[in-house]
Amino acid sequence: MGRYLLKRILFFIPTLIIISLLAFIISINAPGDPLDRMVSAQESGGEFSTQTANTAKEKERWRKKLGLDLPVFYVSLSNAATPDTLYKVYDDNERTALKRLISQYGNWENIAAWNNQLHTLSTAINMMIPDTSNFAVYGKNVVLDTIIEAKQNIGILMYSYEDAQIQLRLNTLTHYAATYPYFAPVKEQILKTKTLYEQLTSEKQLAKTWLPAIHFYGHNQYHRWIFGDGNWLTGKGSVDCKGLVRGDFGYSYETKLPVGNVIGDRIKWSLFFALTSVILAYLISLPIGIKAAANKNSPFDKTSSVILFVLYAMPTFWVATILLMSFANVEALHIFPASGIQPVTGIPDDANWLTTIKLRLPYLILPAIAFTYSQLAFLSRITRVSTLEIIAQDYIRTARAKGLSEHTVIYKHAFRNALLPIITVFSNIFPMAISGSVILETIFTIPGMGEQVFHAITTKDYPVIIDVFTLTGILTLLGYLVADILYAVADPRISYASK
Amino acid sequence: MSKKNSDNKFSFRKYAMKQFKHNKPAYVSVYILLFFSVIAIFAPILANEKPLYIHYKGEHFFPAFSFKNNYYINNADGSSEKIQLDIADWKQMQFDKVVWAPIPYTPGKSDRLNSGYKSPGGEQFFKDKSGAVVPIPGRFRHILGTGSRGDDLMAGLIHGARISLTIGFISMAIATLIGLFLGSMAGYFGDNKLTTSRGRFWMVVLGIFVAWFYGFQARQFVLQEAIKTSGFTLLLQLLFSIIIVVAIIFLFSQLGRLVGKLPWLNNKVNIPVDGLVSRTIEIFHSMPTFILILTIAAIARPSLTNIMIIIGLTSWTGIARLTRAEFLRIRNLEYIQAARSLGYNEYTIMFKHALPNGMAPALVSIAFGIASAILVESSLSFLGIGVPSDVVTWGSLVNDGREKFSAWWLVTYPGLAIFITVTVYNLIGEGLRDALDPKQKR
Repeated sequence: MGRYLLKRILFFIPTLIIISLLAFIISINAPGDPLDRMVSAQESGGEFSTQTANTAKEKERWRKKLGLDLPVFYVSLSNAATPDTLYKVYDDNERTALKRLISQYGNWENIAAWNNQLHTLSTAINMMIPDTSNFAVYGKNVVLDTIIEAKQNIGILMYSYEDAQIQLRLNTLTHYAATYPYFAPVKEQILKTKTLYEQLTSEKQLAKTWLPAIHFYGHNQYHRWIFGDGNWLTGKGSVDCKGLVRGDFGYSYETKLPVGNVIGDRIKWSLFFALTSVILAYLISLPIGIKAAANKNSPFDKTSSVILFVLYAMPTFWVATILLMSFANVEALHIFPASGIQPVTGIPDDANWLTTIKLRLPYLILPAIAFTYSQLAFLSRITRVSTLEIIAQDYIRTARAKGLSEHTVIYKHAFRNALLPIITVFSNIFPMAISGSVILETIFTIPGMGEQVFHAITTKDYPVIIDVFTLTGILTLLGYLVADILYAVADPRISYASK
Repeated sequence: MSKKNSDNKFSFRKYAMKQFKHNKPAYVSVYILLFFSVIAIFAPILANEKPLYIHYKGEHFFPAFSFKNNYYINNADGSSEKIQLDIADWKQMQFDKVVWAPIPYTPGKSDRLNSGYKSPGGEQFFKDKSGAVVPIPGRFRHILGTGSRGDDLMAGLIHGARISLTIGFISMAIATLIGLFLGSMAGYFGDNKLTTSRGRFWMVVLGIFVAWFYGFQARQFVLQEAIKTSGFTLLLQLLFSIIIVVAIIFLFSQLGRLVGKLPWLNNKVNIPVDGLVSRTIEIFHSMPTFILILTIAAIARPSLTNIMIIIGLTSWTGIARLTRAEFLRIRNLEYIQAARSLGYNEYTIMFKHALPNGMAPALVSIAFGIASAILVESSLSFLGIGVPSDVVTWGSLVNDGREKFSAWWLVTYPGLAIFITVTVYNLIGEGLRDALDPKQKR
């Protein structure tokens, strides 16, 4: 047994690695820069120029805090022309433009020079203050407009990779430099930019783009997510992130709070409904399944089978909606409230537990029915099938032959053994509690994990999603393990010792 | 197949067919499914706001079947009239002769006069040809009522059938391809039947990396452009990438054959196909599939194709498991050994001789799989994730009904449609299982 368990637990590791990798791949492929959402200019306040500066600083801080300044994974496969430091260009669009330029021309030195020059030019043009005497000659609007236009053109150049686009922008810049004397401070730079681009396009090294190259990174985003930013084994020296293995789930993009807090708040409701519904479903389905199996082909068996079959095929969201429509509808029966888990006014602070239950109960009944229903049909069918199999066995015949009453035979001899397959279902409770029932919790607006996942998906809060995903995977594996142990406990014939 | 002496031989296929016909619910289900399929196939003719046929100013048109955007009609006085097919107000136009579709509405198109949930039996309005608002004539009634924007429910149901059935069918086709391939490989070769030389093994591993680089990495921008242009270009470019990948792996495998002749590299290595496939299945089992589908659907651009692919990629495990078990049995049968002793290629034996006999259990899993794919799709569109907002599906109709509880028709009818479809597939699955299981012999 011990060896078997050890083997099972060792097998967890590759499975967990793959699940976490999958979650990670999904999250890094998500479109958009999370920092843009987390840090908006309005929050920092002040003048426009200080706003942008503050935003940039704030972004830098969060980038470090979330570890987005690191390479993505342990290895990266790219063409030989791509340098291994490209991940340090944080702007997504700029990095894409650079990658495209690399795939078009293959000469990284020139591309880097061109990109650096664009940044130099950009700073230079930002520093430039036109002499007011120009206002009289060209008109104030023209002066200011041309400068803004030039800045925009440089910005576009950083994101551009198509030759026609770049040429167009460069031509506009050189035209300004040639026409307006107030561009004199940056004229040199603009001309230099143009030459650099010409060099870039003329000195192609295409051979390199057709050769594969592998780069290795010791410290990367995936490593940081799993092991934290300190020592990977002991966790010493970690600053912002202790890693998933030490129970640190990172920060939510939406609330900027640790994901662990979010999960902690939410899990109790999901756990409550998972447990309640499973217990209720057992209480109802076991008698039905056993009675149906004991009287096979009786009218009870036939009708219950048909009803359960029908229940099995009904979509959960439909049943939940119909429940709400019939029992929480102002125009039909208005017995239960339609959403939430407590009165809008909240529960008074001085209420004792009895009052709390009394206030809450109407809110919990409809969801409980919907949650229970979704397991009921499946459980009854499984109970019936497994009881049928047991009843056909010899020891039941023996029990009958020695004259025991049918009741004793079924409930004392068959029942225990029929319980076995049901253990499997019990092991699903933990994963169900963590990922919740997305649909049911959304319909009934229950503040549980499922609703949180739905919310995270609509607001693209990827850390929450991938943590829930990974946690559910872990708990499913644990559930299987618990089920295996329970099997061995419940049935002495099952032994996991190696033969 | 030997047809001539089949009468004195036991044919499992015929036997299973007979058993299946004995199962009345399953047999009736097949006909219900056929009926639904016919509705799905002819949906654009059954529910369309464009008339099927019009006779207008001496010319004949078939707007519902037309791929054109505009009709140009020359008037008698030499001026020309333009009808824009997608926005024309057909019901207000004066035709010499007109044949309407059975349900003269297109799903999702708003009908302003009947907006805000009009019940099937209640008051509905219609603008007649003079422009006056009158009670709706029987021919143009919204027979199952309307949704929030006055969109016809019956039309939505008919087109929803098309979407649900397509999603069920295509996603399970993807799942079946993967499941049958992996399951039969795992079952047929087991853990120690697929051997190769060490040199060839490592050459193929290397080849996969190289193929990935030239097939996808080096072409990533071409593929990205293709995603932006159109589905067809993407398909073409993907196909091209796959050809590159296959060609490179084949090249490396052939090179490996040569390399495998060298000393040390010519040692035999085992490829534990069964172990690999079984582990993969276990991994898929411990993943929260619905959350995975939700997440991918939320990240990817909303599209039905994406949903089909995601469902297909996550639901092949059942098929693979059953096929594997069946192949474990089949590989020891005499006819396989006979084929092997005749010197047939292993893959020929596997896919040509063993697969037709090993597919039966997978059929059951496919039927149940389609049912659950339809459930997943309707849940997704109910939540409004992954399905484009302008596409009307059964799930999105129920969701529209959730906004207003008194609109019972919006919840009841689409829900019933989902329920019937799922039940029908489940019944067929059960019927197949009973028919294919020799233990149930009557």
